[in-house]
Amino acid sequence: MAARWSSENVVVEFRDAQATAMSVDCLGSHAVLSGRRFLYMVNLEAPSEPPRKIGRQSKWDVGTVQWNPHRAESHVFAASSNQRVDLYSWRDGCGEVHTSLQGHTRVISDLDWSWFEPEFLVTSSVDTYIYIWDTRDTRKPTVALSAVAGASQVKWNRKNQYLLASSHDGDVRIWDKRKPNTAAEYVAAHLSKIHGLDWHPDNEFILATSSQDNSVRFWDYRQPRKYLNILSCQVPVWKARYTPFSNGLVTVMVPQLRRENSLLLWSTLDLNSPVHAFVGHDDVVLEFQWRPQKEGSKDYQLVTWSRDQTLRIWRVDPQLQKLCVSDVEELMDGMSLTVEMEKSLSSQEPDSQHSLGPAAENLQDPDSGGRQDSAGGSGLTQTLQQEFSLVNLQIRNVNVEMDVVNRSCVVSAHFGSHQVHLVVKFPAQYPNNAAPSFQFVSPTTIPSAMKTKIQKILTDTSLQKVKRNQNCLEPCVRQLVSCLESDMTQEDPFVISNPVTPALQPFPRVTNTYGSYQDANIPFPRTSGARFCGTGCLVYFTRPITMHRSVPPTEPTPRSLSALSAYHSGVLTPMKMRSESQSTLRLYSGSPTRSDKDTVSISSFYYKERKLPISASRRWSVQTLHDWPKSRRFKTKREGTDYGNRPIKLAGKVIIQDISCLLPVHKSLGESYILNMNDIQETCQKNAAAALTVGRRDVAKVWALASAATSQDLSPDSDPDTETPWARHPFGRQLLETLLDHYSHMSDVQTLAMLCSVFRAQAPPPDCYSLYGHHASRSAMLPPHHSRYPSYTSSSVTSGSCSSTSDSITTTTWNAGRDSEHANPWGESSPDDYRYGNQGYTDPREREREQHDMNKRLLDPANMLQFDDFKKCYGEILYRWGLREKRADVLKFATCPPEPHKGIEFGVYCCHCRSQARGTQCAVCKRLTFQCAICHVAVRGSSNFCLSCGHGGHTSHMMDWFRRQDECPAGCGCHCLLQSTF
Amino acid sequence: MVSVINTVDTSHEDMIHDAQMDYYGTRLATCSSDRTVKIFDVRNGGQILVADLRGHEGPVWQVAWAHPMFGNILASCSYDRKVIIWKEDNGSWDKMYEYTGHESSVNSVCWGPYEFGLILACGSSDGAISLLTFTGDQQWDVKKISNAHTIGCNAVSWAPAVVPGSLIDQPSGQKPNYVKRFVSGGCDNLVKLWKEEDGQWKEDQKLEAHSDWVRDVGWAPSIGLPTSTIASCSQDGRVFIWTCDDPAGNTWTPELLHKFNDVVWHVSWSITGNILAVSGGDNKVTLWKESMDGRWACISDVSKGQGAVSTITDTQQTEQ
Repeated sequence: MAARWSSENVVVEFRDAQATAMSVDCLGSHAVLSGRRFLYMVNLEAPSEPPRKIGRQSKWDVGTVQWNPHRAESHVFAASSNQRVDLYSWRDGCGEVHTSLQGHTRVISDLDWSWFEPEFLVTSSVDTYIYIWDTRDTRKPTVALSAVAGASQVKWNRKNQYLLASSHDGDVRIWDKRKPNTAAEYVAAHLSKIHGLDWHPDNEFILATSSQDNSVRFWDYRQPRKYLNILSCQVPVWKARYTPFSNGLVTVMVPQLRRENSLLLWSTLDLNSPVHAFVGHDDVVLEFQWRPQKEGSKDYQLVTWSRDQTLRIWRVDPQLQKLCVSDVEELMDGMSLTVEMEKSLSSQEPDSQHSLGPAAENLQDPDSGGRQDSAGGSGLTQTLQQEFSLVNLQIRNVNVEMDVVNRSCVVSAHFGSHQVHLVVKFPAQYPNNAAPSFQFVSPTTIPSAMKTKIQKILTDTSLQKVKRNQNCLEPCVRQLVSCLESDMTQEDPFVISNPVTPALQPFPRVTNTYGSYQDANIPFPRTSGARFCGTGCLVYFTRPITMHRSVPPTEPTPRSLSALSAYHSGVLTPMKMRSESQSTLRLYSGSPTRSDKDTVSISSFYYKERKLPISASRRWSVQTLHDWPKSRRFKTKREGTDYGNRPIKLAGKVIIQDISCLLPVHKSLGESYILNMNDIQETCQKNAAAALTVGRRDVAKVWALASAATSQDLSPDSDPDTETPWARHPFGRQLLETLLDHYSHMSDVQTLAMLCSVFRAQAPPPDCYSLYGHHASRSAMLPPHHSRYPSYTSSSVTSGSCSSTSDSITTTTWNAGRDSEHANPWGESSPDDYRYGNQGYTDPREREREQHDMNKRLLDPANMLQFDDFKKCYGEILYRWGLREKRADVLKFATCPPEPHKGIEFGVYCCHCRSQARGTQCAVCKRLTFQCAICHVAVRGSSNFCLSCGHGGHTSHMMDWFRRQDECPAGCGCHCLLQSTF
Repeated sequence: MVSVINTVDTSHEDMIHDAQMDYYGTRLATCSSDRTVKIFDVRNGGQILVADLRGHEGPVWQVAWAHPMFGNILASCSYDRKVIIWKEDNGSWDKMYEYTGHESSVNSVCWGPYEFGLILACGSSDGAISLLTFTGDQQWDVKKISNAHTIGCNAVSWAPAVVPGSLIDQPSGQKPNYVKRFVSGGCDNLVKLWKEEDGQWKEDQKLEAHSDWVRDVGWAPSIGLPTSTIASCSQDGRVFIWTCDDPAGNTWTPELLHKFNDVVWHVSWSITGNILAVSGGDNKVTLWKESMDGRWACISDVSKGQGAVSTITDTQQTEQ
């Protein structure tokens, strides 16, 4: 795999160190190893000397340790331990904690010293905050960045003193510390958790991320939607860091087996294969760092610490460094490396030379300074042979036979009952703008229409690629597969032929699935919720019991839908590692690599207990032994394989709860309350009894008070000089106002509206009487009690008759709303058309009387509108309860009439000339428009007619007639009583 | 006592995102990631599937019932950037209108008070809020507030139709002069109040208190008191109650109801506006009630999914 194998320069074993972290100081003289009981200071000049120790007292492992990178502060290093950062100073062979930074509330996941200001340190934590500390003032952080999601990594930009990057599951956020409120940029970088983050040493805009999703990606954060380049690996990548020399990258993989402890050096210009493997460690490489170059030395040294308890120092000589730089570039630019190229350096370089072409994706930004000149091409094309040898076609049901000599390959695929055999021929110039040809051969079984469709898709795909001198075999095969899959629905979803090394996903994510960058601003969907509905119901829905969150309950739910990509596999425990990162035993507790057949859904965020392929569950059960020894629940549940085929319930039940007892209004009271204007006393007593039956003793007492206040003995005298009206008494209006205030605080709109209605009925405004013509003038003696005036309610809205009560107008319009069965109750009109304040007073006595009228009332006339609102609101509730007549009863007492009725209106057409008529005589033919069918006299006033035949007449005549007859009196044969719904 | 009166098994194939009953509490509408909206007749504790509405091409986030005076009308909004208004005609449900004027997921829909006619507010992740008004004859008038919330709008809620601040000034007996207002919450961590003036929608107020995305807002129903109340909840776990006693509607005072440990997704007011239901990422629902002295207290903590319900009985009934 690698071009050269090397052995390390120095190997030192620290058997008892049990160190979890390591850091090399900026002078290159010391490395600190952090164990649980001691910090070991290794002199890198003489590493085999026994290390000096600094004791520590903590039950927590050190999460991260880092030396201050500034020479002036080179004696200082920071070590995080659970929620705290300790700052140590190391002088003259002794070290001690000189200060601690406390502020985080959860475990600290990463820390990083600023490259520009020696006092500044940034820390990230699971508690979702990123703190920037000034070590001169350690009481609190100087800047707090709230990320909402917990961060796993945080790194200062090396070129811009204000910028820093943090990783949150699969996302990267770029922050400007001057604008701490929100991240400057979001990069939805990976499908799974990001383990490592590293800024380019020379380019302000470029960073590399390594992730659980088996890839390292390179980003220009100004273009967050598309990575610049990708390094696809077969296994999750733990860390990927740029080398201090040009175009190099060192990666550490998450080992699938303990023996594979691959520490690899790559050229960022050719990501197809590593240039070097550092072989030697027997166990997981926990940390690797570059030792600063000594004056005059051309070598770099890589210091590594592994769980095998050895510290190794690897020399990277200029030859090795040069491997990271492609030949052509080297010729073009004036490289600083002086050592001449050796022939033996690379076995691959000669091959790649003739396929060099313009790169489609530049790793480095052309605008940036630094070494961008040496980074011309990163997406180098390969020869066909190379492509064949490197192509990743681990796709289920697909087999590709490649024949380099004939420049062709045969792709065979089986989907359901269909087979596809496709011959791909590559022209000689391929891939330099020359697309391969595709031809279906027998025994292909798919219909010809589909063949044509697929052929077109393949041609398009290949053309797209070769135009940019890129290889197209793999994209084409994948297109073919996705085409076939979308058409063949009968595949069995539970057979995954290759679960251990599933195919990589070489394409950017499809934009119409969840978790794409576009979803960064779409809120994470609600999966539970409660809503008050109707009048007394609480509707709530929840996640089913089988759906646990895949993150610990202490982790906040992500805010944006794009976070879903991190939970893509549905079996991942994405934050587990971060929250337990202080324990090295769990460092690599990787989850089974996912199948790319998984679809992303919101449910991916929630852990499904049952949906595990058998192979995966077996892997899990092994891992759980290592990783979650205490968690029996995980183990036992996951080992059950018989769940595999059962459908999973993703939707929980919707529960409707009756919460009406919590409300201040009661439906039963709404039903039993009465508003009898003729006997206020009785109304109050009955309502009091009703209130008692529902347990509202307070309201019952209020009704008793209302009864007392409306007692006939207290009826106000019409003469203002006789006595002060009861309303002016403390137990009058004042008491009522206190009561209303009380029930307002309780939001008891039922009591409020009923009280307002009753007291309004008790002292009706005087104008309504004149309106109804019962009194010649307002100056006439006002009745002490309205109950003498039954006509007040005679035109009750619920009368249900089809008769007009007014004599003064003709029967031309009828209000259909009068009928309670068919009416639209929204159109009720109030009989009370009283208005304030527009009377002109000529007589001071009149004015006094007017004042007296106001004073007599128990309800403050100034608040009438508010009282109307109570009634309107209560009316609305009654309507919801289906108590429309009760609603009409209440709304009668509103001062403000509802909107004019807009329902059915009856018009009269002249029965002779058919023209629309008003009045009794037709304006066109001068005859009577509406004659009574009995007496043949023109009808004024109360009338009835048949809706079917249109005949009718005076109400009294009609009633007489139909008492004895069924048919129309006009003799038309209409069965009016049956026809008319009225 | 609080009692479960119905448990509806929706048979949705994926997670449910909203459930809402109609005006009378007789029908239940649910929507899900399986791209469907379902309507159930839930009278008398039963469960009859009335309609299975398919038309969205992505997960459906929210549903909203219109006032029954306009007929049986339901609006739904989805990840697919569409708002669909469904109407029942002779027992069958059909699309009445499909609105595709948003460029990103539509997260919230809310019908205005019936006094304003059939008017729907829609909040989208493209940052805009659309107002759809039915003008008769299958015509809908669309007004769009662009960039109402930078990054995205997550929730909208209408103010009840009350005459602003003019309880005293209003000449009695006239048809009240209602002002259309609604509140919205978004990814800019802001709660914004909007008001229609001369047919144009204008930002009336900007309420700042949350430190992360505002996930839901709820304007409390009015029972005729001069105070306006709004609840807002956020990704930061905080729920604020905003009140305004000022007749002009300019001074809003926030009060922190509670800080939850996880995101709060939803706030909902009871019909009398004195109980607030709060629900969030922790799969729990809490009910909060305003006491006589104006303080908010948790009256129940309903742990969901277990079917277990615990509440505190209505102390009010006995305390007087």
